[in-house]
Amino acid sequence: MSPRRVLAVTRRIVDLFRHDHRSLALVVVAPLVVTALLGWVVRGSESGTVRLLVVDADTGPAGAQLVAAIEGAAVGTSVEVVEGGSDPAAVDDRLADGDADVALVVPDDFSAALLAGQGPTLRLVTAGVDPAGEGGAAGAVVELLGRSLRTLLPDGVGSRLPNLERSTIYLPVDADALDAIAPVFLGYFAYFFVFILTGISFLRERLGGTLERLLATPVTRAEIVAGYSLGFGIFATLQVVLLTGFVLLHWEIPALGPIPAFVVGLDVPSAGSPILAFVLALALAVGAVSLGIFLSTFARTEFQILQFIPIVIVPQGLLGGIFWPIDRLPDLLRPIAQLLPLTYAVEGLRAVMIRGAGLDDPVVLRDLAILVAVALLFVALAARTIRREIA
Amino acid sequence: MAVVDSGPMSPVEPQPTPVVEAAGLTKRFGPIVAVDGAELTVPAGRIVGLLGPNGSGKTTLIRLLLGLVRPDTGRVTVLGRQVPDRSLLAEVGYMPQSDGIYHELTVWENIRFFGDLYGGLGRGRAREVLELVELDDRRHSLVADLSGGMRRRLSLACALVHRPRFLVLDEPTVGVDPALRATFWHHFRELAAGGTTILVSSHVMDEADRCDELVFMRSGRIIARGSGAELRASAGTADLEAAFLHFAGLGPDGRPVGDGDATAGRHPTGPGPA
Repeated sequence: MSPRRVLAVTRRIVDLFRHDHRSLALVVVAPLVVTALLGWVVRGSESGTVRLLVVDADTGPAGAQLVAAIEGAAVGTSVEVVEGGSDPAAVDDRLADGDADVALVVPDDFSAALLAGQGPTLRLVTAGVDPAGEGGAAGAVVELLGRSLRTLLPDGVGSRLPNLERSTIYLPVDADALDAIAPVFLGYFAYFFVFILTGISFLRERLGGTLERLLATPVTRAEIVAGYSLGFGIFATLQVVLLTGFVLLHWEIPALGPIPAFVVGLDVPSAGSPILAFVLALALAVGAVSLGIFLSTFARTEFQILQFIPIVIVPQGLLGGIFWPIDRLPDLLRPIAQLLPLTYAVEGLRAVMIRGAGLDDPVVLRDLAILVAVALLFVALAARTIRREIA
Repeated sequence: MAVVDSGPMSPVEPQPTPVVEAAGLTKRFGPIVAVDGAELTVPAGRIVGLLGPNGSGKTTLIRLLLGLVRPDTGRVTVLGRQVPDRSLLAEVGYMPQSDGIYHELTVWENIRFFGDLYGGLGRGRAREVLELVELDDRRHSLVADLSGGMRRRLSLACALVHRPRFLVLDEPTVGVDPALRATFWHHFRELAAGGTTILVSSHVMDEADRCDELVFMRSGRIIARGSGAELRASAGTADLEAAFLHFAGLGPDGRPVGDGDATAGRHPTGPGPA
């Protein structure tokens, strides 16, 4: 392999981007915009006020005490308590009308059950139209309820804490959803953009006759693939570096005239090495370069490259563990997920950025090894298709 | 301008090894026989014209000679080496029909790219070929902004940048205005005078007389070869277009002749519809 020829191919890719500012913007700006949007959507939804409708149907005194405790505990939090009277039948209407996000119903036997030593059951009601949003709101209420009960009840009566009748609601952990999603978005973006750009660039080589022209020079197929990987690797690097910075850091922009102060960057806490996260994302991106070259064999137009998005990109996004953990997938889908390279990038990035795992961690090591192996496999496949195209 | 229709080679000249020797070349694409048993010899230092209508197999034959496709049967040697041989390509220049240059890059970036692929020939040589095709003052323009004729010139420059011994030009003058066509042929003649062997394909017969030797192709077969004068004499026609029709077994109206006198060619196609 001649480094000069590899670098010639690489430089051609760099020149291409230098002239095509819009593609450069796609690589650099688009992922930042999408990640920023994701951040605002996730964080913005969580920081909204939760209006809690409290209905006290208790015939004894304990209910009123609980309500008072809740109102006290809610001061200074995102929960706003709305007085709901004592009629549980009114709850559904008021929720449906949008008067409140969550309703807490204290049952009529609340005091009696507490005195009898049984755990009474509190009812938590939401409208049931936005599971994710309501889950968050209910979570905030549950947390508030816990603090209220601790101020109300002396220590040692934990066994008689009220039950909550809302087992279907997913109780979120301490971390917000973004903390879990943002790090792995790095990998996904690198994959997505690199795949699309390589696929289209290489298709143009095939269609425009330049691939045939290249193969009439002493350049080898391996040199072409290596040059492409390096060329697009440079832009994947740029992208991953920018995104890593955007996810991990934050800058407060002060208010200026009519524009209110805002924060740039997501400030996701990361325990691990950004360099290791970057290496993982890059290994994934090199695989995406070769996958793009490989799949460009099966496309006749740029439009057909775009048709690979729902086939190649979206399933990896759904199954790769970004939004749903792999071990919670249905039995049939789990083996499929385990075949997708993105799965290992996601797992590795999470291990590094959330758990703070290093290269000595067996999971990270395995993930990195798999990503490198997949990249090499696709490089070999890509090199093969270059010959097949010509022969 | 150099001599046209140079006729047979002078007898005192020693006969060097031909640059191209192909025997029994056949290539099928599915049911289509693109090249059918082609025998071809390209003598060193000459300009050989490959003539035939669109779809007659000229481009496939060229790709077989360069090793870009593998023949179903037959073998090719170029510059004494068996094709395919990647190292051979460092001595061959190829100007494809579809320019084969990057429209998104500038003239200079293209010529530098191909120069690097052929082993880094330096800025000097790149400027030299750009000056030769009169594109030096446009070297910072994007190819996308160039005219069709300028793109053909850049494509030629990219094929010449490494000083090839054998130059393969696939329809170099398609879509080229008469003045540029004359310039191109001037370049070809000068290159040949400098020892470069040239194989040039065309489907326009009026270029044929500028070649030292001609190869007529039709339906994947080589139907005749020789100098322009030889072919005209052999066909008993006044011009090469009529000669081509004669060897193809076609009448002056381009329709197949039943039988009889149309078999004078060395490889008559034998149309023979009953």
